[in-house]
Amino acid sequence: MIRLILGRLIVFLPTLVVLSWLAFGLNQCSPEDPVSRLLPLEEVRLREDDPTAYERAYQQAAERMGQDLPLFYFGIGHKAAPPADLDAPLPQQKKWLEDMCLKTGRPDLVASYYQVLRRLANGNQNGISTVAKELLLTTEADRVAAKWAELEAAVKQENPETQTALAPVVAEISDLRSQMEAEPARGNILRPTFSWHGPDNQYHRWLTGILSGDLGVSYINRQPVGQKIGQALKWTALINFLAILLAYGVAVPLGLKLGSRAGSKFDSRVSFFLLLLFSIPAFWTATMISSFFTTPAYGMDWFPSMGVGRIPDGTGWLAILWIRIKHLFLPVLMLAYPSWAYLSRQMRASTLTELGKPYIQTARLKGPGEDQILRKHVLRNALFPIITMLAGLFPTLLAGSVLIEMIFNLPGMGQLLVTSTLEQDWPVVTAILIISGLATILGLLMADILYRWADPRLRGTGTQKASE
Amino acid sequence: MNKLAKRKKWARRSLRFLLLLALLADFLANDRPIVAVYEGDLRWPVFHQYAEMAGLAKPYADLPGRSWERAETSFAVWPLIPYSADSPDRGTGRYKPPGSRPEDGSFGETHWLGTDKGSRDVLAGLIRGLRVSLGIGIGSMLIAFLLGVLIGAPAGFFADDSLISKRSHWIGSLMGSVIGATYCLFSWWPFTAYWSFLPRVISSLVIIGFMGLAGRMILGLIPWSWLKQKSTIPLDFFALRLIELITSIPGLVLLIAFLGIIENPSVWWVMLLIGGLRWTGIARFLRAELLRIRQLPYIESARVLGFNDWYILRKHALPNAWGPVIVAMSFGIGIAILLEAYLSFLGIGLPLESVSWGSLLRQARAMPSAWWLAIFPGLMIFVTVLACNILGEQESGA
Repeated sequence: MIRLILGRLIVFLPTLVVLSWLAFGLNQCSPEDPVSRLLPLEEVRLREDDPTAYERAYQQAAERMGQDLPLFYFGIGHKAAPPADLDAPLPQQKKWLEDMCLKTGRPDLVASYYQVLRRLANGNQNGISTVAKELLLTTEADRVAAKWAELEAAVKQENPETQTALAPVVAEISDLRSQMEAEPARGNILRPTFSWHGPDNQYHRWLTGILSGDLGVSYINRQPVGQKIGQALKWTALINFLAILLAYGVAVPLGLKLGSRAGSKFDSRVSFFLLLLFSIPAFWTATMISSFFTTPAYGMDWFPSMGVGRIPDGTGWLAILWIRIKHLFLPVLMLAYPSWAYLSRQMRASTLTELGKPYIQTARLKGPGEDQILRKHVLRNALFPIITMLAGLFPTLLAGSVLIEMIFNLPGMGQLLVTSTLEQDWPVVTAILIISGLATILGLLMADILYRWADPRLRGTGTQKASE
Repeated sequence: MNKLAKRKKWARRSLRFLLLLALLADFLANDRPIVAVYEGDLRWPVFHQYAEMAGLAKPYADLPGRSWERAETSFAVWPLIPYSADSPDRGTGRYKPPGSRPEDGSFGETHWLGTDKGSRDVLAGLIRGLRVSLGIGIGSMLIAFLLGVLIGAPAGFFADDSLISKRSHWIGSLMGSVIGATYCLFSWWPFTAYWSFLPRVISSLVIIGFMGLAGRMILGLIPWSWLKQKSTIPLDFFALRLIELITSIPGLVLLIAFLGIIENPSVWWVMLLIGGLRWTGIARFLRAELLRIRQLPYIESARVLGFNDWYILRKHALPNAWGPVIVAMSFGIGIAILLEAYLSFLGIGLPLESVSWGSLLRQARAMPSAWWLAIFPGLMIFVTVLACNILGEQESGA
């Protein structure tokens, strides 16, 4: 058994690594910038009033969060990438530098151009600094040309003293510009570079954080993600547990019955009915039921409306239980019924297989009733493959609970996932991605173990996969 | 068994009918006539619409308010439903039950299935939704089919033991193409930032292929006997690991997260992602099928006749494996349609204002008293998915 678990873990480890890359990569792809979303409000306000102070605050926040570190253990790039030691903390500055470098292929010239422009932008000549700031925001050729004309006009408007003071700077910058235009070297992009960053990188920090249980901070309310997920997980686990009970409680006896009467009218009718049931999208039924049975509009206000119900202070436990049952009945039913078709079909098949085996004939010869054979002999053996399917059901149920939780407004993981996605709260989304991936992998592992446990003949054989 | 065949026949028929409806969607529900005489000349507005989409023609400029609604035509053949799925009929208003007509008595016909939140005709929306659903279902399954065949067929046919080649060859091409792909990603792709998409992709593929060949040649030059030995390529092992990896990724969560993150998700993205996540079923099917077929005597005799392995796979083995794969695919189409409806229902994936079955159902949730918004799109999903499921039912029927 231990060998089996170890063997499976070796297979699952790469999956986990790829999953972590996916989650981290998705996090990086998000258009949102984590630093500015988590910057304290008083510092965000600086943005308009005092850009240099804002830049400094941003830089400090980025350092605090480790956002200034390289992304991965190593980096692959090209010779035209902007130099890393440039003073450009803000994302739009980085974007500008990258665009300029890609356009010209001359990072050295772009770097000095950037520095001179920044000096002009931070200077105290109002007209000039505005134009310089705008030049630092655009890379489009037409707009850059227009802004250059404006810059020259702005220089001419200054008094003669400033003009002479500015002359060398303007000369330098226009020299740089004409050089960039005259000698572009886009071929630099085709010369690859490789750099080794070592373990002090964003991915490493993020991963060690997750491994030590720190899932980050939500963008929306700065609550730790772990705490948010913990609250939601409770509800998802509860309704899924109940749904599994309900699914098996109906499907196993039904499948047994269908199997024992295979080929009869009852069998073909019920089977087709189950296929019909399976084809009805659960979210459709759930939507209709939630609007028909919980609103007075249709005169069928039989169930309390959405949510898990409010518990007034001082309610007895029986009353609490009643409130919860009333609220959870419909969602659990909606979550369970799509599994009926699937599970009872499997149960029917395995019942048929068992019924065809010689030991059943032996049992029949002893003369007990058909019911007793089914209950005592077939059920136990036919149940094994169904139990192993429990693990495979895991992702399906999770998928189902996303919708059911949205429709019935239950504060579970599924609702958290969708609302966080719509609110662009990426730390929560990636954490859910990782947790559900882990759950899926654990489910597959459990399926293997159950399979092995159910069929002793397989014990001790290497790592044969139930999941194949 | 006979019953199943009968059901399948019906399922095929209804799917064919739905497909026809989807193809003719613009001629069935549109806010412009199919053919009309306006200001003395004969026009074909629906065809003109296609030309506009292809960028071949400009919209008619001489229509009052740029729409055909109030245009005084001397002769016009209108579509059965004279409303388009995405243009509002303000004369009727929002959330009007089936059978409503425009209140101000202006131009307009009955909304047989009512209107939605944006005063749009629901029946027209259903027909548009049919096109979206079938498009995504079939498109994503084609992608899944391509991936499934490319990965599952060689894995099953060669298994772990029958594709033999020099170590330097396969290790070299693998390393070379991985390096080539990395280079394309980090250098070639930014370098060609101003090219159009197709040349970019083609040139990248050429680079990857070239690097693969180069890697193979370079490793061949190394005088190390281990590399010169022939060895089997464990294709099946790699394919199974890849399938295992994809199946242990929580697909739905990834779909939601991914479609939430990319900036302008479109139908194509939804198709690509569903196809990219759902090919494993087809690959497994093909693999199992070919593992069986490769041991059949006729394959052996083809080998003895000296045919190339890949030729045998293509011409002799694969054609016999299509049957179960097509069954699995029609089942997959149903699942993809459900997934798309599910995503639009949540408001993730397709642009929010676009019309599909899922988005109509979403409106029903916001307005519980508009029962027509809940019932009809759901029925459409039900019928389509049921037809796919019946077609996908295994003959053995266990």
